[in-house]
Amino acid sequence: MKSYLLASLTVLLACCFVGSVFAADSDAGEVETLIFPEKKYKPMAVNNGGTISGVVKFEGDVPEMKKLEITKDQKVCGAEEKFDESLVVGEGNALKNTIVYLIDVSEGKDFDKKTKLEIDQKGCRFEPHVQIIPLDTRLTMLNSDRVNHNVHIFSVINTPVNKQQTKNRKKMPLAAVKKAEGPVPMKCDIHGWMSAWVAYVPHPYFAVTNEKGEFTLEDVPAGEYKLGYWHEACGTNNEAPAAVTVEAGGTVTQDFTLKLK
Amino acid sequence: MRIRTTALLLTFLGILVVFNFAHTQNAPEASEKGKEVYEDSCAHCHGVEGRGDGSAAENLLPKPRDFTRGLYKIRSTEAGQLPTDQDLFDIITDGMPGSSMPPWDTALSANDRWEVVAYIKTFYDGFKESENPPKQITLAGKIPYAEQSVETGKDLYVELGCVECHGNVGRGDGTSAPTLEDSWGFQTWPANLTQGWNYRGGADTEDIFKRFIGGIAGSPMPAFEGDSFLNFGLTTEESKRLIELENKDEMTEAEEEESGKFYEKMDAAVDIALTIKEGGEVSAADIQTYNDAMKVVYEKSWHLANYVKSLMPAKRPEPAIGNNVLRSQYVQDALPPIDDAAWETFEAKYFPLVGQVVIEPRQFNPTIDGVHVRSFYNDTEVAFLFIWDDRTQTTGDETDETTGKPLEDALAVQFPVKVPQGPTAPKPYFLWGGRLPVYLWHWKASAPEQVTEFTAKGINNAEVQEAQGELKAQGIYTDGQYKLWVKRALKTDDKKDLQLEPGVFVPIAFSAWDGANGDVDTKRVITSWYTFVLEPVPSSKRFIYPPLIALLSVGFLFGLRAFVQRKNSENA
Ligand code: HEC
Ligand code: HEC
Repeated sequence: MKSYLLASLTVLLACCFVGSVFAADSDAGEVETLIFPEKKYKPMAVNNGGTISGVVKFEGDVPEMKKLEITKDQKVCGAEEKFDESLVVGEGNALKNTIVYLIDVSEGKDFDKKTKLEIDQKGCRFEPHVQIIPLDTRLTMLNSDRVNHNVHIFSVINTPVNKQQTKNRKKMPLAAVKKAEGPVPMKCDIHGWMSAWVAYVPHPYFAVTNEKGEFTLEDVPAGEYKLGYWHEACGTNNEAPAAVTVEAGGTVTQDFTLKLK
Repeated sequence: MRIRTTALLLTFLGILVVFNFAHTQNAPEASEKGKEVYEDSCAHCHGVEGRGDGSAAENLLPKPRDFTRGLYKIRSTEAGQLPTDQDLFDIITDGMPGSSMPPWDTALSANDRWEVVAYIKTFYDGFKESENPPKQITLAGKIPYAEQSVETGKDLYVELGCVECHGNVGRGDGTSAPTLEDSWGFQTWPANLTQGWNYRGGADTEDIFKRFIGGIAGSPMPAFEGDSFLNFGLTTEESKRLIELENKDEMTEAEEEESGKFYEKMDAAVDIALTIKEGGEVSAADIQTYNDAMKVVYEKSWHLANYVKSLMPAKRPEPAIGNNVLRSQYVQDALPPIDDAAWETFEAKYFPLVGQVVIEPRQFNPTIDGVHVRSFYNDTEVAFLFIWDDRTQTTGDETDETTGKPLEDALAVQFPVKVPQGPTAPKPYFLWGGRLPVYLWHWKASAPEQVTEFTAKGINNAEVQEAQGELKAQGIYTDGQYKLWVKRALKTDDKKDLQLEPGVFVPIAFSAWDGANGDVDTKRVITSWYTFVLEPVPSSKRFIYPPLIALLSVGFLFGLRAFVQRKNSENA
């Protein structure tokens, strides 16, 4: 009985990784997704790996950030002005919140188990706006607001989530997810302007650009890779990913310049 | 001793499976027959490919379901699970009140309904992939309806944050109501919990229980399942104490420690619940902890369901045929003001409103269900109290895109200018008259103390009367409900006004607008003609002169004849 269960569990898990290249859902044509490796990812010790780093910049007229209309809980939510964060462009046209990642990696370092996987709801805004979540790992939702929020994740491949995080619930961990997917929109329906993205990923070579547009992927085993990006407003380079060659112990630079899609 | 949760869960599922087979049926394999039924009866709304984009879908809200995402609102199953075949069969059989999804209990045979269940499942691969039957919500341990239970449930309604969307007393007017969207990005409204007849999935206590535990997939309504339930893992007493502590402005050191212990206990219980959900390993002791925690959740949930149940009347109040006369009660003294308890002394007549779909622009997706009306009169005046639910107060700050007119809440009361003489005499056309004119009272939320009188010869042919100011009005909005009080003299000098007399049966009809729902001009909700009468007074009370009594009786008989005639024509 026991071994049978174990076997079926393994089969179940394995199924999750078969054919996991998720092209954009024809339904939600506008939302482009990440590309995940077809083979199950094998974690291993990486010695003398290389680094890929770079800066993502925005090209074109930078539209003025849209101010969000705060329709309730003014004291908590309206204390500071809030802006639509679908396009955050910093000094020197640095583009924040871009995911940069390896498309075709089959083995490499393991996830850093120490990284805190949290999204805070603070002043009725999600922080961070884009969060990478390893498979089989729980995301913890924080509520610094002392108002009721509901955490609504619009997954299509995994089970969608919609849970109330009542005002006194400071921490609400969410069940880990088994299938690579994303980025998936996250919303709070109670405060309809709150928006964020989560990506459930099978390997650790994903980075999100900071306010300077910078990203770094470390401990990459030497080899040739395709480097992809995803940005909420600028789309992806799924059609033509960048080719990078990583040398042992070396650093390779790959910058990107993105336009509105 | 450590046990595989999966084994335990499978045993549990095994029990459920047995339970399932005892109570539910499964759909046959998808067949040509199912396809045929679907394409004949469902595709014009749900689309040939099940994407919810049939030819009739454009004007509808909520939209016909897109079956390709596996999101089903009305389920007996836990959060995130697909519906059972029986769930699908039942919703197809019963339809979804408050939406355009019709019941198919008579139009399709049971066999055809089972075939179509199998067919719509083919639109979503998830049905194929999941081998286990979906996990159903346990209904054991129901707590019977009782006042104490309702009270407990009321607190939970606030603590869990149902208020945010459904509002203080459940009229769907919460502060988040105007900004809600469904999973396809279309505007959606929280249910008005006081109108059980409009619940999509039935308003039995069990239905309510299943809806908030399992959530309403595809809508903004969260699932209030185990681990996200308020203070999961604490006993009822511990939970109470924690809320008490949290509500303090400042905690002492001892209190900090006390609450810290509670949080630890909660975190541990949540961890177990998530591990079980993820299919991980837990100990027998963990399972015990989990079961204890769930017991508290289920108990509280029954209280909450009882509270929600307490918000609605047993059934939709509807004027039965032969009992559809609005009777104004006589009082000797001054007419009661808007907030007088006298209005509560008798039951209001409820007039259901329906979307106006005869003339462009039409309203296919009405949000106002009906209007409660009461009336008093004395020797010189008549007063009305109109009460209707509207989730939002809209006073014309925004304008309609096509007409440029302000969008605002409003109510209109319609009478004929001249009472039809005799029961067979024709009434004006119910959509604001035609050859025979109508006399209208028009109230708007932006000027709550004012009612404008109109004469109309058609829905787009209404004129403000020259002589105004004979009416007094007061309108207030609280907790998703309008109360409008209107007073007028029985007799006026204006020839264009209706003159009122006791015992005379007068046709009456209503129109209402919900600005937030885009209602403007002909886009509104309406009734057809009903009947209004100043109820004649029992003789001993008022008339001392026999001749007068005689006169009145004649009037009453006339009215009665009109009433009987009307009843007959309605029965025909
Ligand atoms: C007049 C349009 C119309 C027709 C015809 C129609 N439906 Fe629907 N149906 C709807 C709408 C609208 C909804 C969504 C209601 C809501 O979400 O509140 C719906 C929802 C559903 C659902 C989802 C139930 C749930 O729990 O979420 C099912 C299943 C369904 N319809 C099956 C059918 C089948 C089978 C037929 C044909 C026999 C059919 N419908 C015909 C309009 C229609
Ligand atoms: C974020 C907003 C939100 C919150 C919070 C919320 N609801 Fe709802 N609720 C909705 C919406 C929207 C609907 C309408 C769903 C539909 O039919 O599309 C609804 C519908 C319902 C229904 C009607 C189901 C039917 O069959 O039509 C019930 C009952 C209900 N909610 C109970 C609750 C309870 C109890 C709570 C608190 C524990 C709650 N809701 C919290 C948004 C919410």
